[in-house]
Amino acid sequence: MRIVGILVALAGWLVPLVALSMTQSTGARFGACVLGIIISLVGILGVLNGVHQADAIWKKG
Amino acid sequence: MKFWKRRNRCLWMAIAILLVCSLAAFATPETAPPAVPAAQAAPAAVPPTPAPAVAPPAMDVPLDTKAAAAPSVDELAKGDPSGTKIGTVSDVIAADSKKGLTLADLVNQAGQNRIAINFVWTLITGFLVMFMQAGFAVVETGLTRAKNANHTMMMNFMVYGFGLFAYWVCGFAIQMGSAGPYSTLGGGAGLTGEYTINLFGKPFGLWGTHGFFMTHGGAYDVAAMVMFLFQMVFMDTALTIVTGTCAERWKYLAFAVSSVFMGALTYPLFANWAWGGGWLSQLGTNFGLGHGYADFAGSGVVHSVGGVTALALGMMIGPRIGKYTRRGKPNAIPGHDITWVLTGCFILAFGWFGFNPGSTLAASGNGALRISSVAVNTMLAGCTGSFGAILYMWIRYGKPDASMSGNGLLAGLVAITAPSGFVNTIGAAIIGSVAGVLVCLSVEFFDRVIKVDDPVGAISVHGANGLWGVISVGLFADGTSNYGGSWNGVNGGVTGLFYGDPGQLVAQLIGVGTLIGFVFSLSYVSGWIIDIIIGQRVPAADELAGLDIPEMGALCYPEFVLKPEPEMEPAMAAGD
Repeated sequence: MRIVGILVALAGWLVPLVALSMTQSTGARFGACVLGIIISLVGILGVLNGVHQADAIWKKG
Repeated sequence: MKFWKRRNRCLWMAIAILLVCSLAAFATPETAPPAVPAAQAAPAAVPPTPAPAVAPPAMDVPLDTKAAAAPSVDELAKGDPSGTKIGTVSDVIAADSKKGLTLADLVNQAGQNRIAINFVWTLITGFLVMFMQAGFAVVETGLTRAKNANHTMMMNFMVYGFGLFAYWVCGFAIQMGSAGPYSTLGGGAGLTGEYTINLFGKPFGLWGTHGFFMTHGGAYDVAAMVMFLFQMVFMDTALTIVTGTCAERWKYLAFAVSSVFMGALTYPLFANWAWGGGWLSQLGTNFGLGHGYADFAGSGVVHSVGGVTALALGMMIGPRIGKYTRRGKPNAIPGHDITWVLTGCFILAFGWFGFNPGSTLAASGNGALRISSVAVNTMLAGCTGSFGAILYMWIRYGKPDASMSGNGLLAGLVAITAPSGFVNTIGAAIIGSVAGVLVCLSVEFFDRVIKVDDPVGAISVHGANGLWGVISVGLFADGTSNYGGSWNGVNGGVTGLFYGDPGQLVAQLIGVGTLIGFVFSLSYVSGWIIDIIIGQRVPAADELAGLDIPEMGALCYPEFVLKPEPEMEPAMAAGD
């Protein structure tokens, strides 16, 4: 799952980059940036942090 | 209860008055002048007046310097208590002493003086930034427990050496290997190597290829040395951010390797993209997005890179023993010396006057006199940052929290770092006050929701507010800056959304996406590899005992009797 989290974070970064070539519209590029940032945050704070929280030191009894 | 309500009412009223004042200032019908490219500065409608035909003065003819009235040797021998006799024509050096002083000598002296002013300015501001290491060291040490003080101090001390070494070997080359020649420092003409790929039909610069060991590819150059010193202390600032988040449980060897990697690759790579002529800086010329990614002094390049790396490693290392109960409720672990914390904040605020104004890399020419505006913006945002944080804490918790006031000051300074050269004072005040509140919200978010333990709040101060600083350029840049007529190869001053250029905001957001998506991932993967090979976290027994003896071999306070750990839930005390 760690690798999945990293891949999702990287995928989010690629979204606005790909959008640069697909559209000239500033609005569309803005939307792609916001979408990409959200995807990256899901990968980091959702997936990756979830892996670490599942194995957190304070949960061990 | 009544008193509490009355006090809250007063605080809210104070906030409301401030907001109204800010809005009123914004509503003033003063239109920002449109960014005028330097090449188009002359109005087209007015025909230019033909200049009188005057033959240019001969450059190599000896000048009649009698009118300059240089003091005689006898006069100088009497001393110069008023300081009016020295610094005259007799101090200008003639290339040919037999021929005497020529116009060429004066012109060359003027050029030398401009470069010398810029050298001295950049070096001295670099020295100020270097001293920020001391500020970080005492802030972080003060916010950790006495049993870990030596370990925390030693991380902050040696990060300077580890980072410097890595940056000298390859970091500078990767970052600035193609940034020459420098318009303000007059040299670096050999540093022109950039590894570039073609993507979407446009060149994407990825890393520099000249300047390894500061000897290769024209790096043995006085201007390149100035640039190295200034950029090195910036890089070191990014590295020291991570030590705060990972304090009190980070294995010293892992810290050392991690710092070398970050100084050699992670930081220089993003810095090349933003400052070294890489693809982020070219978003304006290649894709028409404003002036490309604009980050005047490094909210993104320095602070966010440090902040997201801190998040990656803090997440991986996990919270300190005792930070969370078995039900996941956070415990406060107070630092051992608030005096150090606030003294360190002042040292950092002082150093920031090197960080931001120094980023003009000049005090003479190229619009560099804007250093005064940059300095005032820096001062103001730090002030409103601490103001925002203290108000938030006072209203929410009933006390003006000291450590969060310090973090508010730093948050304001971090946030203004990117926009300091592009915004006016109203923008700076708003950016700082938002940062002050944001740092409090972010600390609570990471502490309670994400459950990433950050003893000093570095992820929030540097990561969250660094990103806010990057975004704020795309909102508040007013288009009045003019550093040599262009920025990142695009004519005119950097202009944000509120002043008419939405493309600049998109360029900034692409930078934010790169920091979150790419820099975080690179930091996480490198940290993961180090975790597998060396191990990132110290054993639980060492952590409970304090890292001073197990990791460093000596206590920071050998004559003090350290207070034993408060009782924790059995599971926590056992550690892993």
